[in-house]
Amino acid sequence: MECVVQGIIETQHVEALEILLQGLCGVHKERLRIHEICLKSGPNLGVVPSEVRLLCDLEQPEPTWTVRHIGGAMRGAGADQISVLVRTMVESKVSKNVLRLFYALGYKLDHELLRVGFAFHFQRGAQITVTVSSVNKMLKLHATDEAVPVTPGIQLVEVTAPASAENYTEVVAAVSSFCEYLAPLLHLSKPGISTGVVPTAAAAAASLMSDGGGTPL
Amino acid sequence: MGFALAAQPRKHREQPNPDRSLAVRGEHQRCQRGPVEGHSHLLQTLHPRSLVSPFPSFCFLKFYGWSSIRGSLYKKLPLTEQSQAAELPRDFLGISVPEQPNKYYFVIRGQRIVLEADSSIQTLMEKLQSYKTRVALHFDGFQYQLGDFQLRVGKVVPTHAENLRGIVMEVEYLPISSIEKARQVMEQFLDIWKEAVSKRSLPGHFLHIEPHFAEYGLTENYTSQHTAVQYATVMAQLIATVQAVQSGRI
Repeated sequence: MECVVQGIIETQHVEALEILLQGLCGVHKERLRIHEICLKSGPNLGVVPSEVRLLCDLEQPEPTWTVRHIGGAMRGAGADQISVLVRTMVESKVSKNVLRLFYALGYKLDHELLRVGFAFHFQRGAQITVTVSSVNKMLKLHATDEAVPVTPGIQLVEVTAPASAENYTEVVAAVSSFCEYLAPLLHLSKPGISTGVVPTAAAAAASLMSDGGGTPL
Repeated sequence: MGFALAAQPRKHREQPNPDRSLAVRGEHQRCQRGPVEGHSHLLQTLHPRSLVSPFPSFCFLKFYGWSSIRGSLYKKLPLTEQSQAAELPRDFLGISVPEQPNKYYFVIRGQRIVLEADSSIQTLMEKLQSYKTRVALHFDGFQYQLGDFQLRVGKVVPTHAENLRGIVMEVEYLPISSIEKARQVMEQFLDIWKEAVSKRSLPGHFLHIEPHFAEYGLTENYTSQHTAVQYATVMAQLIATVQAVQSGRI
C-alpha cells in the first residue's frame, strides 16, 4: 500500500524546487534515470485484465530491475475526504530477464517511458520520497538514448510514502503536512486530478534562487 | 576421496579448505538425484533414511532437519479450454530455497527461463490474477555431512496434505562451485552410493533429469538459480508421475 500525490512544475522552476527540497529534507538528492516499461495482459490471460510495470534503473553502474503492480485506490466517503490517494502497491526486485519472463507469460508491451530527474528520500512522520522528473517517450523501441519529452517545459513531481492498513492515516497526515511546504511552488493532488501550475510559482522560485532558500516562503 | 575421511564438524568447515578446492565461492556445486520412481504404493514403504543407511553410521554427522524448500505450480487463468492459447505456457514453477530466505524463483521450463526475485513477487503474482498456484509441495527430511559432501534426503509432500509424492536426494560437493570441475568427483560419489544402495534391494529407482543449465543462460559457477532450476525439474517430474498414476497410465 502507498500514499501518493502528484503535481506539475515548469522546468524553469525546478532548480528552485530543488533548493527548497534540499532545505526541507536535509538529505542529498539522488539522480534518477528510470526506464519504465508498462505491460498489459494479452487476450484470454487472467480472470481480469492486468497491468505490470518494469522499472530499469539506468543510473546504477549495472542496471537494476524492479517489477511493480499498482492496484486499486481506496474508495468510499473516507477516501473522498482526504487529499492523498491511498492505493495498493506491490513491488519486487528482479533479475534482468524479467521482461522475457512476462512476455513468455503472455504480457504485451503497452507503452514505455524514460523518467529523468532526481529524488529525495527522507523521514518526516513517514518515509517519504519526492521525485522530480521529466517524462520522455522513445521514438524507437527501447531507445532510451533517443527519448524526447512528452510535455516539453513541464516536469512531474510525485510524493509517495509506503503505508499499511494500520498506519495509512498517519502517513496521509505526514504527506499532506509536507505538501503544504511546497504550496508556493506547486500544488499536489491525487493522480488524475489536474490542477495545473501555481500562479505564485515564479515569485516563489525567484525568492528561493535569490537567497538560496534562507528566507521562509 | 573416499569414506575413510572422517566426518568433520560443520563449525570447522564454514570456509572450504583452500588446499582441496579449486575454486572458492559462496555457492557450491550440487547435483540432485530426482524423485524415486516406481509404483506409488511402494513409496509409502520406503523411508528416506534408508537411502543413507548403506553407509557406516560414523561417516555421517546429521545436523538438522531440512524442510525449507517450497515449490509451487502456477497454472494459467482462466482454466477453460478456450483460453488455452497454444503459445502461452500452461504453467510455471515457483521455488524458494533455504540459503536465500528473502528470494523467490520462477522457472518456465519450456522456455528455459529462471527469474530471481524478492519474496514479494508471490504477492504480486496473486494480485495479477493471471496465474494461480494449484499445487504446493514442500521437501522435508534430514541433512547429512560426509566429508566434503552434504546430503539432503527427504520426502516430497503436498503442503496441505499428508500423502507422499516422492523422495528426493540432493548431493552437494562443498569445496567447489565450478560445475565442470566438480563433475567427475560428483559422479564418482554417486557411483559408489548407487552401488551401496543397490545391495539393499530398495524398491523403486532414482531418476536424474539433466537440468540443462546453459540453456537457462546460467553461468558455469553454481548459484541459487541453479538450485531453483534443479528443484523445478524435480517437481515437474513428480507432478507428471503422479498425474500419470492417477490417470491409470502407470
